[in-house]
Amino acid sequence: MKALGRAAAVAAVGTMLAGCGGGPGGGGGKISDGRLVLAVLNDQSAIYADLSGKNSVEAVKMAVADYKAKYGDKAVTENIDVIAADHQNKPDIANSKAQELYDRQKADTIMDVPTSSAALAVANIAKTKKKVFIDIGAATTALTGANCNKYTFHYGYNTYMLAHGTGSTVTKDGAKNWYVVYPDYAFGQDMNKSFSTAVQGAGGKIVKSDPAPFPNDNFSTFLLKAPGLSPKPQVLGTMQAGGDLVNLVKQYNEYKLRDKGIGLAVGLMFLTDIHSLGADALAGTKFTDPWYWNADQGNRAWADKFLAKTGKRPTFAHAANYSAALQYLDAVQRAGTDKSDDVVKQLEGHKFEDVFAKNATIRAQDHLLLHDVALAQVKPSSEVKEPWDYEKILKTIPADQAFQQPDPACKL
Amino acid sequence: MILSKLAARPVLLLFGLVAAFALPWLIYPPVAMDIACWALFAAALDLLLGFTGLLSFGHAAFWGGAAYAAGLIAVHWGVPFPVAVLGGALFAAVLAVPIGYLSVRLRGIYFAMVTLAFAQMVYFVVNQWRDLTGGENGLQGVPREFFGMDLSDPFFFYYAGLPFVLLGLFAVWRIVRSPFGRVLVSIRDNPARAQALGYPVERYKLLAFVLSAGLSGLAGGLYAISHGFASLHEVYWTTSGQAVMAVVLGGIGTLWGGAIGAALIVELNDYLATAGFTETGLVTGGIFVVIVLVFRRGVWGTARDLIAARAARRSPAAGTDSAAAQVEAPDRQEVTAR
Amino acid sequence: MLEQAFNGLVGGAFFALLALGLAVIFGMLGVVNFAHGAFYMLGAFGAFVLLDSFGVNFWVALFAVPIVLGVVGVVLERLFIRRLAPLDPLYNFLFTFGLTLILQDLIKSRYGVQSQPYPRPSALSGSLDLGLFTYPTYQVFVLAVSLAVCALVWLALTRTRVGMIVRAATEKPELTRALGIDVGRWVTPVFGFGIALAGLAGVLAAPMRAVNPLMGADLIITVFAVVVIGGLGSIFGSVTAGFAIGLVSALGNLYVPALSQTLVFILMAAVLLWRPAGLFGREEALS
Repeated sequence: MKALGRAAAVAAVGTMLAGCGGGPGGGGGKISDGRLVLAVLNDQSAIYADLSGKNSVEAVKMAVADYKAKYGDKAVTENIDVIAADHQNKPDIANSKAQELYDRQKADTIMDVPTSSAALAVANIAKTKKKVFIDIGAATTALTGANCNKYTFHYGYNTYMLAHGTGSTVTKDGAKNWYVVYPDYAFGQDMNKSFSTAVQGAGGKIVKSDPAPFPNDNFSTFLLKAPGLSPKPQVLGTMQAGGDLVNLVKQYNEYKLRDKGIGLAVGLMFLTDIHSLGADALAGTKFTDPWYWNADQGNRAWADKFLAKTGKRPTFAHAANYSAALQYLDAVQRAGTDKSDDVVKQLEGHKFEDVFAKNATIRAQDHLLLHDVALAQVKPSSEVKEPWDYEKILKTIPADQAFQQPDPACKL
Repeated sequence: MILSKLAARPVLLLFGLVAAFALPWLIYPPVAMDIACWALFAAALDLLLGFTGLLSFGHAAFWGGAAYAAGLIAVHWGVPFPVAVLGGALFAAVLAVPIGYLSVRLRGIYFAMVTLAFAQMVYFVVNQWRDLTGGENGLQGVPREFFGMDLSDPFFFYYAGLPFVLLGLFAVWRIVRSPFGRVLVSIRDNPARAQALGYPVERYKLLAFVLSAGLSGLAGGLYAISHGFASLHEVYWTTSGQAVMAVVLGGIGTLWGGAIGAALIVELNDYLATAGFTETGLVTGGIFVVIVLVFRRGVWGTARDLIAARAARRSPAAGTDSAAAQVEAPDRQEVTAR
Repeated sequence: MLEQAFNGLVGGAFFALLALGLAVIFGMLGVVNFAHGAFYMLGAFGAFVLLDSFGVNFWVALFAVPIVLGVVGVVLERLFIRRLAPLDPLYNFLFTFGLTLILQDLIKSRYGVQSQPYPRPSALSGSLDLGLFTYPTYQVFVLAVSLAVCALVWLALTRTRVGMIVRAATEKPELTRALGIDVGRWVTPVFGFGIALAGLAGVLAAPMRAVNPLMGADLIITVFAVVVIGGLGSIFGSVTAGFAIGLVSALGNLYVPALSQTLVFILMAAVLLWRPAGLFGREEALS
């Protein structure tokens, strides 16, 4: 039995290798298997489904269409497939699916992958399989820090960018004293750390920062405490996300903290969050946004196309998926092949500009996309002119200030 | 009849072994490994649910706790992976002692609630203790060390991991067949009588709980090594729920049914991930409700009944058979509500 | 400090309403309703849908939604719960677990996973001066409603014939049946009533909590712990524990934030160690 098993195993590896023909180093054409496969692996059924989900697949398809239109006959290949898988927000499914996408579906790149545990697991697979992985949906800086690798790119946003943009800009605008509430798990703790550094760096003071349970539906403990702190904080900085953020903001309004002179700044907020809370609940709140659909004519034109395809206005994650796909295809075009090592070489240090990424560079040291981001403010409903038109862009935070310095822990 | 029964067992056993060895040829190897781990998890849970009559809705604590323990051992000490897996199983068994001690004193449905609550507590602790567990980033980069051998190919790793699963399944089978297992069954069927006969019922239940947790831990530890990480999802209540679903789907108290149920559920999840159908809860919940309402003996239980019915038609004497049936036919439907 | 205590009671108001529903259902049917959290979620969504699609305000929803959900509960009991009732109670537990997955996904497929907006009713939007401190009116209202409902249920249980039967069946099931009291005809209405209470809690939650398909899932596990602490099979114990746990978690939040989520489970462990049947429970819950 044992000997049989071993012989069988060896035979199996033989078949597998044969199946991989045309992978790194092999094959006749310049494009492995004669086609380019872009796989979107994200959450289509759980908490990130609205933010990214199925419509990110549409965004990637838009990028493929635009790539074909741009290069026409000169394109390296006509055969480009976009495939998708739903990791249901479960890291173990993300892990198995990523292997399957690379091995069996011949994916040349995997994109999106929200949820940090899933993203980090897929990054590991990309490393062992030597295939490109462009993460968009996860916020953890570990992807370009301790867990970085040659084949993994982080595209769009991260916790540092969110916390730093809001923290330092709002402090410089005059709100010196902060009370910070953050959810007591890794994301929140990271956010709190980045946020405090940013506020202090800009000359502000953290009067107090409190961890809150996660998930939590009652923030009154913290909200009641805020006005009594000494010195009295001018801003409440909340690092809560999703449902917790909604709870906190509802209760912030109930306790009328804004009337008591305590403004609200949010660490992580998406267009979909504003939509669910209603503009008035958040009016005046400042936050950092990687991209806003109605910020300028170019964004708007793309958002209109997206609306025509999906019936929805795009979130930044949709635009980032579009941009990442476009840049990946462009890198393949420049390299003339889909061999991972060559494509990675083309992406590293690449400077470009597209509808999502303005003034953009893919930093060679850690594969983080640097690009201009915006400090946004939520409009009161009286100024909202059309559905999803919730944000006013206060200022642009230039690419070189928006993101962190490369983490020395990252060795590619 | 006895002859045919004697013949049927080795045939079934052989069939199961062939299936276990052939699995990564038929199914994508990492998924095959998931099936193997979940099969052991379900069988270990059935030891408690089917043979002791206790519904634990908190076994994610043991599966996930062992996943983290095995992962931490592998990450920090770089020991060969079998040591890490066994370490995880041991951790789960130890964790089960206080939880079991407090839970086994409660009657059936309360037991389910309390184990669920304890598992949620474990979840919160794992989530909060990020220095150790990595919080919601998960514990990443768990190595598969085995004396310098390269086990990175999931196909090979399946065969490296399979002995643990088979060992675990064998242990469950041995426990069920042992005198200890018979006492458990008698406790399940009539606790008062078992008590009257002088068995320390609670201590038996506790031991069953610890054994079940340890074997679940064996599965969970292997799962973490095979995926190369442990995440919060492993200790979340939905994982406990999925294990219970696997047992019910396969057939409560059928032992091997759990393994079949686990295989079906893992395959279903894998299929749904690329099916483009996003209402996964609707599918799994729907199947589960149908099973509970009309199909309570589960897939394997029903199949076995059909086989038995056919055999009975051929030889009418079969109905009165045997000592084994006493152990194996826990028709829980006959246990009434209070 | 006093404000925190008040906060805790408001949180406890939800625990109490949910625990009360669980306890009466358990008492009459011997069923632990896993889907109780899902019905709480449906209550909140009911209020949201009425307002969003039909412009029906909070006050109407406060009555209409629990009634509709109560009817749903009655149908559910007639069609399914009843069928499984003669079997081991764990089958109904498993059935309601599957039902939870289905209900969550049904709502998710229609409304997505994002939280839905629900404004506070305008009459309750300000804050009240309670003498020692000011407090949001809506929260005071929630606490008052919860206390009133619990008190009314208690009165009904102690002063009416139906209540006596329910209470007797809940607290001394064997004796009640032995006395030849016909418990059966009250089973369906009581189930519907328990579901209606969960729906009521959901409507009350809509203006102050995030309304999304998963809002009940984690809450129900905490409520299980509350019921275990209060005493298995004790209606009074469940309600009391509901408020007490709310209070203790709020204070825990204040003094030991690191423990705030585990506190209720640690308390549960301590109670099980000291009084395995819970604070107000009876020994028959034990094996």
